[in-house]
Order: sequence, then structure tokens, then C-alpha cells
Amino acid sequence: MSGQARALIDSMQDNIATAATTSLSFDEAFTLHHRAVFRTARAVVRDAALAEDVTQEVFLRLYRNLESTPGEEWLRPWLLRVTLNVARNTLRGQSRSYARDNEYHKENYADGWLPAPEEDYERRMAIEEARRALEKIKEPMRSCLLLKQQGLSYREIATTLSVKETNVGSLVARGRKEFARVYGKIGGK
Amino acid sequence: MRECLDDGTLQSYCDGELSGAHADGITTHLTQCSSCSAQLDELMSANDIVFAALSPEFQAVVPTERLRQRIDDAIAVGPVFNTAKSSTLARAGGWFAALGGLFTLRPQAFGYASLVAVLAFASVFGLAYWKSTSTQELTPVALVDSEAKAPAPAPRAVNPDYTEVNPKPTPVPLGYNPPKSARPSSNSASSVNKTVARVKLLPGERSYLKTIAALDSTIKSSSDRPMRPELQAEYERNLALVDRALAAARSAAKSNPDDPDAAEFVFAAYQTKVDLLNTVADARVYNRQP
Repeated sequence: MSGQARALIDSMQDNIATAATTSLSFDEAFTLHHRAVFRTARAVVRDAALAEDVTQEVFLRLYRNLESTPGEEWLRPWLLRVTLNVARNTLRGQSRSYARDNEYHKENYADGWLPAPEEDYERRMAIEEARRALEKIKEPMRSCLLLKQQGLSYREIATTLSVKETNVGSLVARGRKEFARVYGKIGGK
Repeated sequence: MRECLDDGTLQSYCDGELSGAHADGITTHLTQCSSCSAQLDELMSANDIVFAALSPEFQAVVPTERLRQRIDDAIAVGPVFNTAKSSTLARAGGWFAALGGLFTLRPQAFGYASLVAVLAFASVFGLAYWKSTSTQELTPVALVDSEAKAPAPAPRAVNPDYTEVNPKPTPVPLGYNPPKSARPSSNSASSVNKTVARVKLLPGERSYLKTIAALDSTIKSSSDRPMRPELQAEYERNLALVDRALAAARSAAKSNPDDPDAAEFVFAAYQTKVDLLNTVADARVYNRQP
């Protein structure tokens, strides 16, 4: 390998190392993580309109604290931790309203970002059954399931939920077993 | 590995969370232990059920564009000085942002903005105006003037901000005659100073004043290129209008020092002024004006 090629590879490695520790811009953070934030919020508050409120609040907090938030590696756990807190607080202040969620869906069918009601019915029933089963799972196992479903590592889950990393496997196993049991009881496939 | 494995270890094995050597040891154990192997099957079955059940929830459409728009809007109107009152202030800020939008680029829009601002402030602060006998408070300049001449020995805690921003009198609103003889009584002067000091304590006000001073300086520094006369007239008229709104909001805040909404209107009025100055300064600096 020529000296020039070696120098190029070295500089690439340096760049990768730097990128792993640098902070994301707000735009990058939104682009990368808004789906995880919204989905986690929706799974907790069970209401798409409320989940939008929660997502907005989470990213506003990120915007206000951009300088003090962790770097790229730990941003997702930070965001999801804030999401879980905001979503739970939101839930405490709201009476859950499936009617409201249905209304929200009706409004948004017209906007074209949701499939038509008849195509969507079966999927929504499946979501509803999963939500009912999930509601029976105790914390922090429930949050473990939500975070694991989104592909977080045990280390990230431990950071998000403030639990020991060595306990995450056990929490996931217990949560999944319990979910499978409850889901079977309520008629899930 | 002879001891049987717990659920946590097996789950970590399933999820690929174990190091290579540790995972190899478990693989070896599983080939020799039917109990652990059955336990692993049970876990993997539960994993499949959970993954399939939660997939629809996590595959549902995310309204990316709307979320981004909502967040951008909230950031645009969101105050940085009082997050606890975000909801009320966001509404006020949104109103002022909409008003500020009228000031952008099109000179004729100044006229619409003037009309809207006059109607809005006349209705919101009409009562405050009616009750106020100290007409010298109609503009920040007049406010400084009256406080500077007040006989009370109270320190001029607020005045440096204003003298910093307005070292000399700015053009007064059309049709406005600043009273020269009105003098507050000693009692009312000390009361005014006290309430002004309370208003001043609101965080963020000084930064608005500094921003306004900087923008004002930017606009004045490009005075070698004269503004088109009709645009200049519109600009001055709207600046006077915003100053009146600001003075009215300040007056209302002084009359109701414990009302957070009144203080928020002061900041919203500041924001409107900053928006106006910003638009004009941008046009001056980047030569976007016609």
C-alpha cells in the first residue's frame, strides 16, 4: 500500500471517530429520530394527536437544550427518555379518548397521509389488541419492549430507563413472555 | 459451561448482545442441555409474537411534514425567556408573528399591518389608555423623559436601557404631541419607578433592547443609500406604531405588575419591533429593497 493510500485511510478513520462523538444539528436530530419519538409517544399515549403534541414538546426541549444534550451516540436514549416522561405526564393530564383518536384518523384520511378506512381497519384492530396487551405489562418491562422493538441496544435501553445494563435481558425476557401470555388471552394471533 | 442459563442470559443471546466468546460458550451449552434449549425455544416464540404484534403500531405512518411544520412554528414564535408560560405566550407570539409577517418585503403590506395593529391594540389596551392620565408614557422615549425628570430620588434603574437604545428622540408617531408640562407627583413618580423596576426584572427585556439597538445601528449605518421615500415613510409610520404598541403594553404591564399576561404582551411587542427592524435591516444590508 502506498504512503498516500495509507494516509487517506488514516484520515478516513479519524473522520469516522470524530463523527461518532460530535453532536448532531437540530435538523439532523429531527430527521433521524422523529419517527422513534412519535411512535414511542403514540404507543404510550395511544392517541395520534396527543403523540404529535408530545413529539413537539420533546423536540422543543431538544432545541432549547441543544448545547447540553448528549452527543450523537446517546441522543436517541436521551430523546426517548424525555419522550417517555412527557408522554406519561401527558397521559396523567388527559382522559384517554378513543373517540378523539378516531376523529383524528378521520380528519387525516382526508389529508391523504393515512390509508383509506376500509384498508386500514384490520391494521388498526391489530394495533388496538397489541395496545391492550401492552397496557397489562408492568414498567419498566413495558418500556423495554417498546424500546427493543425500535432496535435500541441493551446499553441504550439501560440509559433510557435508568436500569442496569445487565438487567435489560431479564426485563426483556419477562416482558415478552408476559406479553405473549396476555396477548394470547385477549385473542391476539 | 455446565450451569443452566437464566432467561436474561438467553434473551441477551437471542438479541446478539453477548460477546463472541460468551455467545460461543452458550451455543455449546445449548447443544448439550435440552432444558435450556426448550427454554430458548419458548423465549424465541414469545419474541416472534411480540415482534409481530407490535409491528403494525411501529409501522404506522408518521406525519413527518406536519410534525416538522409544528415544531418550526413553535420555535419561530416560542419565547426563549419564559418557557413555563409557553402556551399563552405562544398564542400571543403567534399573533405578533402573523402581524410581523405583514411587514415583510411588500411595502404596501405596511398599511394592512398598521390597520390590524391599531384595531387590535385599541381594543386590548383601550382601557389601559383610558385610565392612564400620564400621556407622556405613550412612547418609550417619553417614558424615559418623564422618569428622568421625576423629582423622586429613586435610582433610574431602567433608564440606561432606554438611553442606550434611544440616545436621542426618535420620530414620534403621526398626530402625536408629546406633552412637555405634565409632571407626575412625587408619590406617583416613586410608584412608577417601583413598578418599572419590577417590569425591568423580567428576564429577556435587556436582550431585546440590545437587539433593537443593534438593528437600529445597522439600519442607520447604511444611510448612505437613501431608502425610497414612500418606503421610508411607511417604515417610520410603522415603527412609530410599534413603539406606541410597545409603550401601551409597557403601560399595561406597569398598571398590572402581577399579571404575567401583561408582561408577555410587552415581550410580544418587543418581538414585533425586532421583526420589523430585522426586515428593514436585511433589506438594507442585502440591498433587497426596490
